[in-house]
Amino acid sequence: VDAVVNGHTSLMIAFDAISVHNFSEKILEQVVHFHVMKLSGGFFLWVGSTPVLSNLAVSMSSKYDSVPLSTLVIGDPSNTAPNSLAQRLAKKTKKQVFVSYSLPVTDSNLGLLVENRIKKELELHPEHF
Amino acid sequence: MSSPAPIIRSRQTEKEVNGISTQVACTEFSNYIFVVLTQYGKIGTLISVTPDSRSNDITTPTLSTKVLLGKDEPLTHVCAKNLATFVSQEAGNRPVLLGLALKDSSIDSIKQMKEIIRSCQVW
Repeated sequence: VDAVVNGHTSLMIAFDAISVHNFSEKILEQVVHFHVMKLSGGFFLWVGSTPVLSNLAVSMSSKYDSVPLSTLVIGDPSNTAPNSLAQRLAKKTKKQVFVSYSLPVTDSNLGLLVENRIKKELELHPEHF
Repeated sequence: MSSPAPIIRSRQTEKEVNGISTQVACTEFSNYIFVVLTQYGKIGTLISVTPDSRSNDITTPTLSTKVLLGKDEPLTHVCAKNLATFVSQEAGNRPVLLGLALKDSSIDSIKQMKEIIRSCQVW
């Protein structure tokens, strides 16, 4: 009975509960929303101005390459924004990263500012990632 | 720092299913309902559950499942369809993106998990 109880306890404390964090920022005259879901060993990040999920990329570091592996699981492969953002965040955080970059990709400057905003949040609130 | 209300609605909970800690997080997008159902704390296998285009408005559409990330095995499709069909239907036939990481996929557990997903309704 003890072993069962102990085994059960270890199951309960094996990982933290999923937590969700929202923030937003006005960047280049538009409000950009960020939604982070913290998971065990990784996180899901959605970026957008309307509540659409238009793509999803997954990235994680590999011991065989200094550049994290990345793949697009939803969306137009000609849009490289989700993959490259996921890759850079995976490298920075050493975690498995899911990214949906659901903003128009017409302005390359926007992408840079968005990424800087994410990095700022990572530094201010690392507990949410 | 500007902080208007989030435009993405989400709910999450944690319950025990047959003694195993089980977490659910549901997130609403206009074109997807994103459901994470996990006993490992991770997204795990990622499956899209999509209603087939309706031939008419009277019958409820059938659903297609596709494993986007992870091991593509028959049981995954069965579980995904079982767990996500009601979500898709209730959300006005919206596609469901399902993250599944289960230690126990017995019928009894799946039934309980459906109720946990229902308790996190965002659609």
